[in-house]
Amino acid sequence: MIEFQGVSKTYTRDAFALQNVSLHVAKGELVYLAGPSGAGKSTLLKMIAAIERPTTGRVIVSGHDIGKLKRSSVPFLRRNLGLIFQQQRLLNDRSILANTMLPLLVSGATNGQAEQRARAALDKVGLLDRAKALPLELSGGEQQRAAIARAIVNRPQIILADEPTANLDRAAADKVLDALHAFHAVGVTCMISTHDEQVLDSAARVIRLEHGNLTGAGA
Amino acid sequence: MNTWFRQHRFAFGRALAQVRKTPGSFAFNVLVVAIALALPFTGLTLLENVRPMSEQLSVDPEISLFAKTATTREQAEALAPQLRTILGKQKAKITFVPREQALDTLKDKGGLADVLDTLGDNPLPDSYVMKLDGFASTTQAGGVDGIAEQMRALPGVDTVQVDSAWVKRLAALLGILRMALLLLAVTLGTVVIAVVFNTVRLQVLTQRDEIAVSKLIGATDNFIHRPFYYSGALLGLCSGAVALGAVTLALRPLNGAIAEFARLYASTFQLLPIAPIGMALLLALSAALGLVGAVLSVKRHLARLS
Repeated sequence: MIEFQGVSKTYTRDAFALQNVSLHVAKGELVYLAGPSGAGKSTLLKMIAAIERPTTGRVIVSGHDIGKLKRSSVPFLRRNLGLIFQQQRLLNDRSILANTMLPLLVSGATNGQAEQRARAALDKVGLLDRAKALPLELSGGEQQRAAIARAIVNRPQIILADEPTANLDRAAADKVLDALHAFHAVGVTCMISTHDEQVLDSAARVIRLEHGNLTGAGA
Repeated sequence: MNTWFRQHRFAFGRALAQVRKTPGSFAFNVLVVAIALALPFTGLTLLENVRPMSEQLSVDPEISLFAKTATTREQAEALAPQLRTILGKQKAKITFVPREQALDTLKDKGGLADVLDTLGDNPLPDSYVMKLDGFASTTQAGGVDGIAEQMRALPGVDTVQVDSAWVKRLAALLGILRMALLLLAVTLGTVVIAVVFNTVRLQVLTQRDEIAVSKLIGATDNFIHRPFYYSGALLGLCSGAVALGAVTLALRPLNGAIAEFARLYASTFQLLPIAPIGMALLLALSAALGLVGAVLSVKRHLARLS
């Protein structure tokens, strides 16, 4: 499903964000990315979403070579991905429901279809009763769950979550991770980056990065 | 096709939402663009009103030939065959106007009977009026100057007047005005594009987050660009409507003043608003200018955001 083949990424001549990374993530797998800040976790996730392109090597996602992907094809790749960020990036001028409907409207769904599926997604993350609320009226944990609802509303094959539990208390972080685990349980491939060692202790597979290099056996 | 319509409806809805969000700013922008559009629209309205009037005026030149006062009636009448020769194949209606008839006409038309009676002798000469036809334009009618020149050389001829000269001058003046209007329209059209360009630039900047999120959730460039295109076109359209409305309303007081002036010339001339089809074209042009401004702005500023 996701394959990195000798991937390096440099922003300046000598500073590697990723260096010769090779890894494989199978369909339906739940993989955690661990490492300190600046280790290259976000860069790796951005490459899968075609936000960044490899300087050398190949990144294959669902059969698409990201390095060779046409600019016009990127949106269609992203419709099969659910992206979750540390800062939720919800649009503060519209309700949680409207935020969740957006990926469907982008894909050409009718308002009726979009609302129905957005409500179902909000229900899955336990936020249906807050559907009409604006993002800033929600707690940090609720905002992150709203972001998860937006990420999964298009029924993506892959969920990429970049530090989704950062800045959340333990209870809120657990709810967010529970929601992500629930989607993994129904066959969605998940890659989650985190600093949270408590979470990593119970993870089946952890890929560790340091200074852009893979460390440990997770790859 | 349904998806296409749905996405355009969504984009139009986003453009309207942007207007609802900042109605004051939108109204101000409409006002600025409308002022820029009102000037060429006013010029066009005036030209459109003057054009039919100038077309109704005789483009077919009329040559008036006046014999010398010393010329006898026989000599004057003998000019007729020479005039026909000079005119050649040119179609023309030649009318001989004896000096007595000219005096009677002057008395009837000018209300100068008392003054003319005091003169005693008839001061007017025998004359010919030649109405030439078959001219399609004032430019063609300009060729009549050569004919008039030959007539001036005939013996017994005092003066030859080509009465189409002022029509030609009017046509030339209208040509200049038309060119000036075109230059004004191009200049102010550029102003409209610049205003819309800047308005859309600000919209792009204020919606940076929405644009970024839309890209991340799989929005195509077209999906992101469309609301801005609709915003620009909407701004142009509304401004065009306001400008046309203002010009049409301004005709009322202007017509009041014109009516006074026209009455002095026994005319009922009134300025009319541009015809509905013309208005529709101007509105479409206004919307198109807005669209061009938006397209240029989106291409430039979204490329920078990317």
